[in-house]
Amino acid sequence: MGGRALLTLVRRAMVAIFAGVSVAAAIRVRGSGGVPPQKGGWRELKGPDLE
Amino acid sequence: MKVVLFGAGATGARIARQLRSSGKVACVEIRDQQQAKALRLVETLGSGTEVGEGRQIAADTDAVVLATPPGSQAAIARRAVHRSVPVVSTSNQMSEVRRLLTLGQEARHHSVPVVIGAGFMPGLTGLIARHAATELDFVDEIHVAKVGTGGPACARQHHRALSSTGLDWRDGKWTRRAGGSGRELAYFPDPIGGRDCYRAGLPDALLLVPEFEGVERVTARQAATRRDRLTAPLPMLRPPHAEGGIGAVRVELRGRVGIERRVLVMGAIERPAVAAGAVAASTVLHVLEGKAESGAYGLAGMANYLPLLRAIGDCGVRPMRFEGVTTFL
Repeated sequence: MGGRALLTLVRRAMVAIFAGVSVAAAIRVRGSGGVPPQKGGWRELKGPDLE
Repeated sequence: MKVVLFGAGATGARIARQLRSSGKVACVEIRDQQQAKALRLVETLGSGTEVGEGRQIAADTDAVVLATPPGSQAAIARRAVHRSVPVVSTSNQMSEVRRLLTLGQEARHHSVPVVIGAGFMPGLTGLIARHAATELDFVDEIHVAKVGTGGPACARQHHRALSSTGLDWRDGKWTRRAGGSGRELAYFPDPIGGRDCYRAGLPDALLLVPEFEGVERVTARQAATRRDRLTAPLPMLRPPHAEGGIGAVRVELRGRVGIERRVLVMGAIERPAVAAGAVAASTVLHVLEGKAESGAYGLAGMANYLPLLRAIGDCGVRPMRFEGVTTFL
């Protein structure tokens, strides 16, 4: 393997590693899911709720 | 009436204050390994409190409250039971809760209650689960979760728990699962909102399973960030704060009413040390009134639980209920 071919291989490997790390970092930071839909709200229990 | 309180930390101070202001306890004897800490608390609270030392329980003691760091409570509880003195423990450590549960037979023999995990979670979550269960004919699943920590001892336990093995009740069997696994996005009362929660070394299932006959699944999770998960196996990188901020608990029950399946979501929001103090102090007063049965159990096993839940609400820690539609990942 010539010097030029070796350099190309190293460059491609570096690009592949960089792309992999970028995707992994993006997934890690953003998470794999979004915020689930939520409708409604919280209500305090008092009076008849606690009888 | 005289109550001996072990532990003068963030939770212990709240318990002492609530007991003293109840007007039903003549003397709260406060003991702490750091005598100066107990002394400072007694000076702050004034009359009706005194400093004690050692682990001996005097015969004229009406109840013992344990708010010391987890791991130090079981030995004192055993000593109190042998003296026929009721015990209220705030422990949230799995191994210690197991040891406290083994005191059941001795407690029944001495006709005293040993109430285990009388805090925010476990504690209030057990009472909420018990209350929510009245709306169902049959409880299939109970899932509890918490956000936040109280004092430094609570923060250390929270950190340890995330790297400890969790214990789930699944299809009638105990299942060990790695701490930090099982991410689930859970909604807590506002303003906490949605938080990622993970399995951890939490004792809740140990206290809930015996109280809900036929329950198929019980899990407990605690909220954590990615940094918390990453650093959980390491020692704490900086000393814990004196007291954490606002926290919350969430209780989800899945069950049946007739042939219809229902999901109930309840919770509460408060600073964890304040909530734990209110729960433990109200439990002590409940025990002093003779409303607790003998044996060792968590608050979900409290036979006459409604007056206790109302008393905790009067202290400002009110249970909440989610009404609407929620979807989990």
